Amino acid sequence: MDVSIVVPLYNEEESVGALYEEVRAAADRLGRSWELLLVDDGSTDATVARLREIAARDPRVRVIRFRRNYGQTAALQAGFDHSLGRVVITLDGDLQNDPADFGLLLDTLEEGYDVVSGWRRDRKDKLVSRRLPSLAANWLIGRLTGVEIHDNGCTLKAYRADVVKRARLYAEMHRFLMPMMSLSGSRWKEVAVNHRARRFGRSKYGISRIWKVFLDLLTVKMLLGFTTRPAKWFAVLSAPFLAGMLLAFAASVYIDLSLPAGHRYPLIFPAITLLCAFAFAHLVIVGIFSELVVRTGDFRPAETALSLSQPKGVSA
Amino acid sequence: MRSARPWGDPEVSVVVPVVERHGDLQQLHREFAAELERLGKTAEFIFVVDDQLRDVVPALKEIQERSGRDVSIILLGGPFGEAAALTTGFAKARGERIVTLASYFQVEPAGLGPALQALDDGDDLVVGRRHPRIDAPFNRLQSRLFNGIVHHLTRTDFHDVSCGFRAMKKRVARELNVYGGLHRFIPLLALQRGFAVREIAVPQRREDCPTRYYGTPTYLGRLLDILNIFFLTKFTRTPLRFFGLLGAGLFAAGVLIDLVAVLEKVFLATGISDRAVLLLGVLLMVLGVQTLSLGLIGEIIIFTHARNVRDYKVAEVIRGPLPGGPSALDDTGARQISTRQAS
Repeated sequence: MDVSIVVPLYNEEESVGALYEEVRAAADRLGRSWELLLVDDGSTDATVARLREIAARDPRVRVIRFRRNYGQTAALQAGFDHSLGRVVITLDGDLQNDPADFGLLLDTLEEGYDVVSGWRRDRKDKLVSRRLPSLAANWLIGRLTGVEIHDNGCTLKAYRADVVKRARLYAEMHRFLMPMMSLSGSRWKEVAVNHRARRFGRSKYGISRIWKVFLDLLTVKMLLGFTTRPAKWFAVLSAPFLAGMLLAFAASVYIDLSLPAGHRYPLIFPAITLLCAFAFAHLVIVGIFSELVVRTGDFRPAETALSLSQPKGVSA
Repeated sequence: MRSARPWGDPEVSVVVPVVERHGDLQQLHREFAAELERLGKTAEFIFVVDDQLRDVVPALKEIQERSGRDVSIILLGGPFGEAAALTTGFAKARGERIVTLASYFQVEPAGLGPALQALDDGDDLVVGRRHPRIDAPFNRLQSRLFNGIVHHLTRTDFHDVSCGFRAMKKRVARELNVYGGLHRFIPLLALQRGFAVREIAVPQRREDCPTRYYGTPTYLGRLLDILNIFFLTKFTRTPLRFFGLLGAGLFAAGVLIDLVAVLEKVFLATGISDRAVLLLGVLLMVLGVQTLSLGLIGEIIIFTHARNVRDYKVAEVIRGPLPGGPSALDDTGARQISTRQAS
């Protein structure tokens, strides 16, 4: 099997039929063997019934039905887990991605990349509610993680299967897929793809609360940093408390020297010195503990070197 | 009326954890066995006895002698509690349907019929709701408080989530991972795993009515259990969202307090060095960072073990009528249903 096409679906009863037709037409033009994995993320409408009809017609289609709604990351993960192709292409179920871009993604992948991500350069979405927040988020992600990519939110991507099957995806990490992939040493490239206006229904995977995204970003940032030395990351976090401790200690000494003998000595600065010292010590200890956690886990940076040395080339 | 088959597995396994107070177990067995027989179900009873209650074993032996091989008694090796008792009972159960009962009279046996019917109608787990409640007002208050907090924290709609009367399909029982105080939240754990859960009203027994008082440790324990289930249902994959938000809040409060103290010093010339409020601010900041650091450790743990953990549960893989056997990759224990059979 050359290409596995994975589509996460959540309440897309109107578009699945057209989606299947478009994907089939585009995939047949590639001249490679392919399969289509439709992942139903706990839809409550007639999506599953439509999917059964499609699967009954075409043996190249498999439908993975979830017990309940688990979110887009889990749906993509299930697609990767069940895929048999050497390349995995993902796209949205709402027809906004254009299956005609498959060829471009595959050709770019064959140049020697592990991930090729679509960039919706000419995005057909509302400016204020979707495009502006996305611009800000992409800028921030690029600055913080060093993976400067224009469009983290585009589902249309192509992956080398052996790389993506090894990727660690959980929670809502689909937002940070490229930084997470780069974490395991994947070579990536971004190509401009077509984007079309929504024909059916409305957007399901909106922006959730902003604080969630920020905390996730902090996680990704830390994970990017800790792959080499987790204790160091916590040492950086503890630095302000070391500074606080020194400042408060200096204040204590200054007060001690400037007060006339026999005057009541305020204990507040020595107390702050001690508190900051405790916090500093705590973070250093947690940092050392994190080394233990990483060592007992199954993440090895060396493992990713394997993915880079895999033979390239899609066509059999 | 069918009598218990001498061969084969029973249809219903009734698991009774005997871990705390217990009623007349012989009468409990007699009434529920009679109701199951009336429903035409073959049944086995599994009594799982906590070590500290080994006194009940002779009474259970009598039941066993009367009813033969359809009654098993399991004696736990230590005081392991209700969750461990249930897990042990589930592992031993042979029936396709598993019913759990409190070891005292909590509900009328009449609830069995509707509960088993609901399972036949497609639900995966049914939990009883003692309704209408006829017991002491203080009991009801405790129950309302407990369920109210659970309702608000988990955004689920159970009136009597910890009721000991439950009926479930075998695969639900096998998949649930119940430990510690989590047996009180079995319906929530099942929901989280994507099972269909329903609550049905079951008449309450008169024996369940006397007022129950517990010590402070019990109530504190319950509160901890609630916090535990809140964390487990929402943040197992994203610990930083819990600890991070908490930590950031504490830290921000600390900064705010100290900022006010400093401004007062600058503009109102209030002395800063002899005010405890400055210390409180610093303390909050320290606590905030410590909480945050635990969240980060949690994230590292999730990340370094992410490869073995799957967030999703597959209900089925639907494939066309044509080539290829069952997928070798389908390791999720999903049912493979061809579309022809299903439609």
